[in-house]
Amino acid sequence: MTRILRSLRDGIGFDVMLVIIALSYLLVFAGLPLIYNVIISFQTVDVFSLGTLWHPNAGFDNYRAIFDDPLAGRVLWQTIVFTLGSVALQFTLGFALALFFHQNFTGATWIRGLFLAAWVMPGLVVGVLWNWLLSGDFGVINHLLESFGLIEDPVFWRSNVETSLYAVLIANIWYGTPFNMILLAVGLAAIPGDLYEAAELDGANAFQRFWTITLPMMRATIGAVLALGIIFTLQQFDLFAAITQGGPAGSSTVAQYWSWQLSFREFDFGRGAVISVLMIIVVLFVSLIYVRSTKAETQL
Amino acid sequence: MTRLVYASVLALMTGAGGAAAQDVTLTLWTESATAPESVFAQEFSAIDNGVTIEIREIRFDDLVTDTLRAVATGTNPDLIAIDNPDHAAFASRGAFLDITDQVAASDVIDIDAVFDGPRASLTWDGRIYGIPRASNTIALYYNRDLFAAAGLDPDSPPRTWDELLEAARALTDPENDVYGIAFSARASEEGTFQFLPWAQMAGGSFDNINAEGVADALALWKAFLDEGLASPDTLTRGQWDSTGTFNGGNAAMVISGPWELGRMASDAAFDWGVTLLPVREEGGVRASALGDFNLAIFANTDHPDEAFAFLEYYMSQVDRVWPEFTRLPSVAGVALAPTGDARIDAAAQVFTEQLSYARNRGPHPDWPRISQEIQTAFQSVLTGQAEAQEALDEAAERIDGIIN
Repeated sequence: MTRILRSLRDGIGFDVMLVIIALSYLLVFAGLPLIYNVIISFQTVDVFSLGTLWHPNAGFDNYRAIFDDPLAGRVLWQTIVFTLGSVALQFTLGFALALFFHQNFTGATWIRGLFLAAWVMPGLVVGVLWNWLLSGDFGVINHLLESFGLIEDPVFWRSNVETSLYAVLIANIWYGTPFNMILLAVGLAAIPGDLYEAAELDGANAFQRFWTITLPMMRATIGAVLALGIIFTLQQFDLFAAITQGGPAGSSTVAQYWSWQLSFREFDFGRGAVISVLMIIVVLFVSLIYVRSTKAETQL
Repeated sequence: MTRLVYASVLALMTGAGGAAAQDVTLTLWTESATAPESVFAQEFSAIDNGVTIEIREIRFDDLVTDTLRAVATGTNPDLIAIDNPDHAAFASRGAFLDITDQVAASDVIDIDAVFDGPRASLTWDGRIYGIPRASNTIALYYNRDLFAAAGLDPDSPPRTWDELLEAARALTDPENDVYGIAFSARASEEGTFQFLPWAQMAGGSFDNINAEGVADALALWKAFLDEGLASPDTLTRGQWDSTGTFNGGNAAMVISGPWELGRMASDAAFDWGVTLLPVREEGGVRASALGDFNLAIFANTDHPDEAFAFLEYYMSQVDRVWPEFTRLPSVAGVALAPTGDARIDAAAQVFTEQLSYARNRGPHPDWPRISQEIQTAFQSVLTGQAEAQEALDEAAERIDGIIN
């Protein structure tokens, strides 16, 4: 008994205990819901049987219904466009801003901090703001574009099937860029300054320094930022709810919004769960990249 | 006065029982804290009867969703005001309390006096599961000043679809940011509520959505959008916001209901009128949508008697829903008291007549899914992604699958 206690205090037992705490937290709050989600994707669940523990078995019916749904192909494509578009532009803009503020001019850290204000706003608030900005008849964005002479007639961002997805995409890029910037700024700050000095003495120009020092040294951070970006974008729901509600005619419906619509608008929790299961598989894959890049980070 | 009488009756009743009234707190979920049920609930709480009603306001779009979630987890309130097409989903699955016997024994609630439409919406399998809050329907509001300016006669508003389309064309004035007409074709229950009357005037119905003629109704809506007679945001905007553009003078006509009258009377800086929804052709079938909410008690409440006492109080005050809330009573024999605003009183006549053509959505326990199919159909046509008949045929097939 005392041996176990001593081991808990200052031996291997302490490590084991920490691992057990972390694992049981994961199991209870992430593992069980995940498993339950997989289970109900094979069952017929409506709202009035949701509270009961067991539901009628549906086999692969839910999966078949999802893949046969005429909306499925479009949702897949729109999800890809939204995710890749968001991550690519959030990352590029975030990186550019991080490099800009890395110049350490007066007030750089302050202004960099202010950028975070966008990111700490609740998604629904951001959504409502962009809803107004993007409004067709009286929107600020249309007004600006018109006064610069870029467009003749107002663009109905939210109501046009061609632009509705991009309306949410624009809002999401604005929303996610500061987060990318902060993470990348941290990565930039971790690169030792003497590397740049040495390279400069050797006659490397700014582009070469960026390409051969900054990028390779940032590999781990970049991997992590991209992986987190994909995961956060796949979680983005508030903006859709506030700006387009997935419409018009499903033209801005992405997987996560569709899953919610099926579960909480049509009350078909089985089919809603199918989409989350498919998304979990994607997220698991992305998480692997994240884990690998953070592993590389610790090895540095 | 009625309030006083009612309070004393209630006091007598509890007094006769001999037991001191115990303090009971009920919860009521509603879309609006200023709706009649909320106002009446506050009055009911103020009466010294030992019952207090706590009101929780839930956005209209979330009301069904939140309630279903609450029912599934047993955290639902005691009372709810729910949109009438959603009533059957709860009643058919036993979530609402069957109050048939209490209603039969009640001196205050006369269920036979309730109009057929609202009564059908709260009845399931011959049993009564609630009382109607009020009734509403949609009609055509028009800006008389803009009519005159466009050379149209404000005293003879459009009566047929063709006249409506012509009027919308004449009234549209992009130079001054004026659209001819505003309505809501949103992918939500509001869109279904606005579209069904047009489908019905053309001979269709929710269980016959691909009837010959419904495509013409869609063609009319599409013409409004394609010709720029209505804002493209019609596809994503609800009725309240659409009517806001009318009140602001940016739309010359709007299709909406009597709940707008109070706001319009104070916001609109022009002369306006209301007329019946135009019919397909001269002498054509009239139709409109039966809107508004029902009040229901949840089956798992601990205080069914107190909750029912509130329903009785509500019914005792029903003559106030028109003058104070511009909602039409769902009960026969309630005179619409003058409001002091001639335009609103004139509108009362129009909406009362329009209501006599109103048809139910459902009742069907899977109404949200049926409604969703209708929304998908009109949205895909209006955005040019599908041909009208094709989209309606597909919707009809899927609705058949849900109904049968």
